[in-house]
Amino acid sequence: MIQFFHVYKAYPGDPPVLSDINLNVEKGEFVFLTGPSGAGKTTLLKLIFCAEKATKGQILVGGRNIARIRESAVPYLRRNIGVVFQDFKLLPHRTVEDNVSFTLDVLGVPRAEAREKVRRMLKLVGLEHKADSFPLRLSGGEQQRVVIARALVNDPTILLADEPTGNLDPALTVEIMDLLTQVNVRGTTVVVATHDATLLSRYQKRTVRLERGQIVSDEDGVKAARRMAAV
Amino acid sequence: MSVLAKATYFWRSAAVGLRHSPFVHFIAVTTIAIALFSAGMARGAARMLDNLLASLGGEVEVTVYLAPELGEDEVHGMRSRVEELSAGQVTVVPPDAALTRLRTELGDLGDALAELPENPLPATLELRVPPEKRNPAALQALAKELRALPGVSGVDYGEAAVERLTAIARALRFGSLVAFVVVLGATVIIVAATLQLAIYARRGEIEIQKLVGATDRFVKAPFLLEGLLQGLMGAGVALLGLWAFGRLLGPTLGQLFAFLLGPGVGTAWVEPRLALELVGAGCGLGLGGSFVAVGRFLRV
Repeated sequence: MIQFFHVYKAYPGDPPVLSDINLNVEKGEFVFLTGPSGAGKTTLLKLIFCAEKATKGQILVGGRNIARIRESAVPYLRRNIGVVFQDFKLLPHRTVEDNVSFTLDVLGVPRAEAREKVRRMLKLVGLEHKADSFPLRLSGGEQQRVVIARALVNDPTILLADEPTGNLDPALTVEIMDLLTQVNVRGTTVVVATHDATLLSRYQKRTVRLERGQIVSDEDGVKAARRMAAV
Repeated sequence: MSVLAKATYFWRSAAVGLRHSPFVHFIAVTTIAIALFSAGMARGAARMLDNLLASLGGEVEVTVYLAPELGEDEVHGMRSRVEELSAGQVTVVPPDAALTRLRTELGDLGDALAELPENPLPATLELRVPPEKRNPAALQALAKELRALPGVSGVDYGEAAVERLTAIARALRFGSLVAFVVVLGATVIIVAATLQLAIYARRGEIEIQKLVGATDRFVKAPFLLEGLLQGLMGAGVALLGLWAFGRLLGPTLGQLFAFLLGPGVGTAWVEPRLALELVGAGCGLGLGGSFVAVGRFLRV
């Protein structure tokens, strides 16, 4: 589903942010990207949804080489990728329902159909009773669930989450991670960037560790959890 | 994927945009209205200038001096020939009438003319030139043709005065065109700057739109519609202003300048064609301004 072949990313005058990245994420897989701040986790995610372009190497998403993709084709690629950010990126003056239906507006889904889909998605994330609330009146966990609903409402094949629990307390963190696991069980490929070691131990998923822009380990969930426990 | 759903979204989004930044949009609408009001006023002034030229141009007369040896029948024959050639109105001034007129014009000095042994003045034809020939080039060509006629000893049409009048009109028209272009350019810049503020206020929304797969055209469309709506509103305000100006000050202006410009000065300042032109210009200004403004904010 997602393949990196000798990918480099560098900004002029700076050392490379990513060096010789080789990675293969299968369809329906759940992968943690971990590593210290500045390791290149966010940049790697950005390369997948074309917010950044690779300096060198090939990246295949759904079999399509996005390292050479035309600018005008990027929006169509993004419609298959849901993205969840640490800082939510919700529109404060729009209701929860409007925020979630934003993705469907872009696709030109008729209003009645969009409303139906949004209600279904809000039910999935447990926020159907908050449809008419404004984001700033919600807790951090609820806001993040709205973001997940927005990312999933058009049934993307891939969900990317960049530190989705970074601003949340432990209880809300579990709530969000359980939701992402549930989404993965339904068939969506999920890639989560996090530096929270407790998540890796608790959820025991494949873990790719980045340090200084390079992949230093790529382990299955059990092995990674065992190593985390030993540390 | 529904086109109707997208169109509905664009209009809804444009309306939300106007509601969320009322002051910014007020500035843009006011700027467009002032520019279009000025354009409408300039158009009115141009119409006055045309009236002025027509009234002064009506005075343009070509005098054709005939050879003294021509008899009365030949003079009338020349009159028909000149009328045919110029498509104008010709009056015959016989030598006696010309002398009487000269005596009257000279006043006390006119008595000296009585001492002349014979009338030295030839018969003349006074030609009132039709409107389409009241310009230097046409008059020059007509004079040339008339001079070539047998029996014509000279032609005079006040060449210098006509050329000066036309040059003044041309300079005024060119000056107002340059001023109009400058005002339009400034308006586009101001509208673009104000719209950039509105777009900046919605940059978060644009960023999310781009992240969930909106194309550049999709992001631009509501802002272009906002510009279009601003242009329509600006044109509406300008037309209202011109109508009010015509109603309140038109009659007074008509009275003040009637001696110079003739009747019709105080008539309608807003005509259907002008209204259409101003609405078109307003839409162009709004769209142009928003097009310039929106380009900068699409890179995410």
